[in-house]
Amino acid sequence: MTDYTDKIKEIAKRLLAEGKVDIVIGFRKGTLPMMNQPHVAASAESADELIWDSSCGLNLANYLTDKKGKIGIIAKGCDSRNIVTHVIENKIQRDQLYIIGVPCTGMIDHHKIKAMFDQEVRNVDESGDQITISGDGFSKTVSKQELLAENCAVCTHRNPVIYDELAGDLVTEQTNVDPYASVKTVEALSADEKWRYFEDLIAPCIRCYACRNACPLCYCPTCFVDESRPQWVGKSQDTVDIRTFHLLRAYHCAGRCTDCGACERACPMGIKIREFTKKLNKDCLELYGWEAGLSIDQRPPLDTYKNNDPQDFIK
Amino acid sequence: MTLIKIDHQSWIDGIKKAKAAYRVFGPVKEKKDHEFKLLDEDRMPDLDCQNTRMSPKAIIYPQSQIMFNYSLDESKDDCRIMKEVENVSSPQAIIGIRPCDALAFPIVRRNFDTPEYQDTYWVKAYEATTFVGLACSSACGTCFCTSAGTGPFGEEGLDVLMVADGDGFYANPLTEKGRAFVKTAGWTGKADSNAAEKIEQMKTAAEASVTSSVATDRLHDKTILELYNAPFWEQDAFACINCGTCTYICPTCWCFDVQDEISGKSGVRMRNWDSCMSPLFTLHASGHNPRPQKHERLRQRFMHKLKYYVDKYDNGIQCVGCGRCIRLCPVNIDIRSICNKMNNFDANACVCKVTSA
Amino acid sequence: MKNLLEHTGIESGRLHFSWISSAESTKFVDVVKKITAEVKTLDPANKKYVKTEPKVA
Repeated sequence: MTDYTDKIKEIAKRLLAEGKVDIVIGFRKGTLPMMNQPHVAASAESADELIWDSSCGLNLANYLTDKKGKIGIIAKGCDSRNIVTHVIENKIQRDQLYIIGVPCTGMIDHHKIKAMFDQEVRNVDESGDQITISGDGFSKTVSKQELLAENCAVCTHRNPVIYDELAGDLVTEQTNVDPYASVKTVEALSADEKWRYFEDLIAPCIRCYACRNACPLCYCPTCFVDESRPQWVGKSQDTVDIRTFHLLRAYHCAGRCTDCGACERACPMGIKIREFTKKLNKDCLELYGWEAGLSIDQRPPLDTYKNNDPQDFIK
Repeated sequence: MTLIKIDHQSWIDGIKKAKAAYRVFGPVKEKKDHEFKLLDEDRMPDLDCQNTRMSPKAIIYPQSQIMFNYSLDESKDDCRIMKEVENVSSPQAIIGIRPCDALAFPIVRRNFDTPEYQDTYWVKAYEATTFVGLACSSACGTCFCTSAGTGPFGEEGLDVLMVADGDGFYANPLTEKGRAFVKTAGWTGKADSNAAEKIEQMKTAAEASVTSSVATDRLHDKTILELYNAPFWEQDAFACINCGTCTYICPTCWCFDVQDEISGKSGVRMRNWDSCMSPLFTLHASGHNPRPQKHERLRQRFMHKLKYYVDKYDNGIQCVGCGRCIRLCPVNIDIRSICNKMNNFDANACVCKVTSA
Repeated sequence: MKNLLEHTGIESGRLHFSWISSAESTKFVDVVKKITAEVKTLDPANKKYVKTEPKVA
């Protein structure tokens, strides 16, 4: 996907020169292997720093909320669905945006790669779909498919669903993947085992809120965990409070989450946050036949009432 | 300086003996990363790691700490009287702490232990702790300790400095506490005469392996206002998502929030780590927030670490070069590039464009 | 909500939903009796999700 870089730069410079946008939001090369920094370009010089590779996993739609002015934004499949959700929820107007669509073949998982080696990874180079990871005295080339982030490996919406211009050719969507395989494994456990599974999962949580802040859906002016009158959730390391934060945050994203994986990527402790939201996405699909952000014209199911909404939980 | 040699068996025996007299903390690998944990009976510290993910500051200064408890039962005599909760009761030792993390404690002490005010919880825990450090034989790409006031063989903040040698260690007790620890562990074997030179060579090699650095020589001379008004803050703050990652993993960050939690007829007053990156950090009771925008908060954090602390204490930057914030920041905000920008900033030659972002 | 809670280990018998108008007092009594009976059959020792005092290390 590194060949998108030149096209992206060209489009960004053109848009800025023609005055079609005031800024272009994308990524620039990070100071560490597998890390890129979200970057805002307001000039041709600044647009020259834009890059694209398989470490652009963060969701740039996160930076759109309530912004004013005309904005160019680089969006892969999942990001574009979040842009649709933003428009539906009135956090940005469609005519403010010039969406540079990027058909995505998946992002690599830096947590996974670091865990593969005992020594520090100093360099990660990509060429086509071969990724070469190297450090002091070691070098290994692996096919990208093996290094994909979990959500990318099961993604069925790799092409942007909405765009003004494409930075590359559309890619074929994956069809032989089961996005909910791990959810089904957990569903098969007993209540006690389920409790312990999640207890174990969120044990390292330090309440940094990187997951919440990296998520484009979490844009409440005052998040429920920060509310103090009344205080719904404690701020300490009490395990019940930590669990409540994750459960409720997932619930607030129900029917809106696009499984972009930004939360897992942002977490400094490497927690698999998606275990909470995936279950809700599966339920939404089964109960309402709904996947978030696919169409700018449809209202989400938790927003609308239909006569045939499932009602067996309430008497 | 009496250098001690500890062979493999003495190491194992020594840790066991130490556990009888101290609560011993050391790095252990849980899942994929190492963290400092209390070592129970048979567990040995796993020193086969570059550094732990979270810093050991939580041993002296836990993330959530109950300070007082009280009863709200009107029928009791002690209703609504706050009782202090004893937090650290016995001597403890941290084995395998790296020189960067060790330097963080004297840095934080300047804030928590002053002639006028003392944070008694922190001070008590700090004074009960013996720091048995392990020198680094080689650095990570993100380490910059040599330009942050210490080095891979740095001694400040440590009571004992150990250097790995084969499957044993050399140990250099630096303080009274250090000598007491070494005695309790039964480490008395003297190192041979060429040990000092060997260590000196390892030190030079380790210092040479630190390839990353920050420029701090001109931070003191700049005025606060010229740095505060510099135009690069908005661009650099764009990526920041205002989580608390950098503040929580940083060994020198010290801010906290005090809160009461009540359940039924009793309650506690506790403190939790807080982050200046959070929008609510500076929210006043009146509703006014002096730092409502994220570039203001980002600027505050770096000004605090690299300018206000420098001016106030005249003892270097409030950063030890451990590199955790660089490795763990979700959006790759790099303190090294910001420090260099601040150090090299020339207000008169300003050509940076302020973006509308 | 029920599904998510059950997924994380809180038995589905602990959360119930019911539409009851303030004029339907008999229905209210019935529902409460039914829920109480059902919850009582669940493990009383399961107080895992009940917080009294903050439990911090």
